[in-house]
Amino acid sequence: MTRQEVLEKTKKVIHDCFPDMDVEALREESVINTETAIDSMGFVLVICKLEALFDVRIPERQWSKLSTLGDVVDALYKRVEKR
Amino acid sequence: MRFDSFRQMLSYWARQRPDAPALRFGRETRSFSGLWEDVSRRARELKASGRTCVGILSDGSLACVTEIFAANLAGLQIVMLDAMAPEGLLKTLIRYTDVDLLWGDGELCEELSISLMGGVKDGAGKLLFFTSGTTERAKAVVLTDHSLCQSAYNGSEKLPLAPEDTLLCLLPLGHVFGFVCGLLWGLSCGACVALGRGARHYGDDCDFYRPTAVSVVPMLLGFLLRQGCVNPELGLVLVGAGDCPPRLLQAAAARGIRVSFGYGLTETSSGVAISVEGDPYAMEVCPDDTITLAEDGEILIEAPTCMMQGYYKLPDATRAVLKDGVLRTGDLGRFDEEGKLHITGRKKDVLVLPDGTKIFLPEYEARLMSALGHTELAVTLKNDRPLLVFVGQAEEAALREKLKDVMRELPRGQQLGGILISGEPLPRTATGKIKRWELQQKVG
Repeated sequence: MTRQEVLEKTKKVIHDCFPDMDVEALREESVINTETAIDSMGFVLVICKLEALFDVRIPERQWSKLSTLGDVVDALYKRVEKR
Repeated sequence: MRFDSFRQMLSYWARQRPDAPALRFGRETRSFSGLWEDVSRRARELKASGRTCVGILSDGSLACVTEIFAANLAGLQIVMLDAMAPEGLLKTLIRYTDVDLLWGDGELCEELSISLMGGVKDGAGKLLFFTSGTTERAKAVVLTDHSLCQSAYNGSEKLPLAPEDTLLCLLPLGHVFGFVCGLLWGLSCGACVALGRGARHYGDDCDFYRPTAVSVVPMLLGFLLRQGCVNPELGLVLVGAGDCPPRLLQAAAARGIRVSFGYGLTETSSGVAISVEGDPYAMEVCPDDTITLAEDGEILIEAPTCMMQGYYKLPDATRAVLKDGVLRTGDLGRFDEEGKLHITGRKKDVLVLPDGTKIFLPEYEARLMSALGHTELAVTLKNDRPLLVFVGQAEEAALREKLKDVMRELPRGQQLGGILISGEPLPRTATGKIKRWELQQKVG
């Protein structure tokens, strides 16, 4: 799977969780907590769905370091690549 | 039931309900007798180790709970640490509290072991919890298993659980509200406590454990209701550690769930007032506690059985809030005609301007939020003027235009002196409160 595919699937999950959000407007550098409608509980929801989708696990201690959409994609892609 | 210690509570239920489930964690279950055996065995090991102060990097697991009770039985001082906190902060807290043993994730313990200290001489019975740090630096509050048991008793007198109940513990045990209302409340009633499996399972723990009661913070309640994650057996939700908007109450009521609010502080070993019936915002004072109001409305608490011993190694800070057994809370309240307590705000959320004008921040910020249609903002002080910290993308001129009418209604001294548009989230505690002190440091 390419990084671009991880990005697209991540956006799709965000859209599924937050149907009202304009996901196409999201950029990789978009800060999730402040530039989107995703609050901290919403972030947990998205991460859990992404972990299940990609069958990977991002340690909870690292969640707070995932600031932008690009950070999330990087964390997922790194683990998908290693599989 | 009122218990004097963890030892008394655990041994009592081990005798009374030996085979009944005390704790569940995932597919593991410990009966009261099994828990008592595990705790006693581990306590002997800890006593033999010669260690005197354990730092618990809590993961909320069955092993974690066993370790906490065992360390208490073995006479160790227990320091409840937040395993999600940055390593630098954890190292500082470990040094500050004289920890000589760590329990938790192996890799993290190894990383932090460089900060271990020499232990303590008089730690028996003590449990240290850190204040939220909402308005100033986090301090370690010295509580005891006795004070925590009394707090659990006070809560269960107002909201009793039956032995057949299952209490879901979703909150971190490192927070006193989670420890007392998520764990001790259930165990002291002889009920089963289902230990939450971490943030990943917020959405399915209710379905997995089928609890009848749960303690949550407002944000978590909102999540559970929004995602439809509550099970039909859930009949009681205890909400604490923050303001809960009425829409959440309505959503819970629509599902037949009774919501109670608890008010308390780390310094009082958790709750001192709880709403029982009728208006959920109107709280009855717990049996052992006395609440009065200062002239300015500040809530003053006398809680002889539940009060902290003090802030760890900070006698001046202790004296500043606790005098003759009365705690100045920094919270504002009022009593209604039935003598029930209502929380109206937080005194520490007040900005004092150089001319003596005071700004009550929650109210002030609510006006700005309403005018801007945006909730991620806070007001702090810069150059002796109120500064709006707006989180997100915006043009300053556009914000000023939207705030024009609000500003006109305010005295000149209270009008905003500046706007800071920030890409960084506001510093918040685990329960969602803005860390005012940290915000002030950032912009100051």
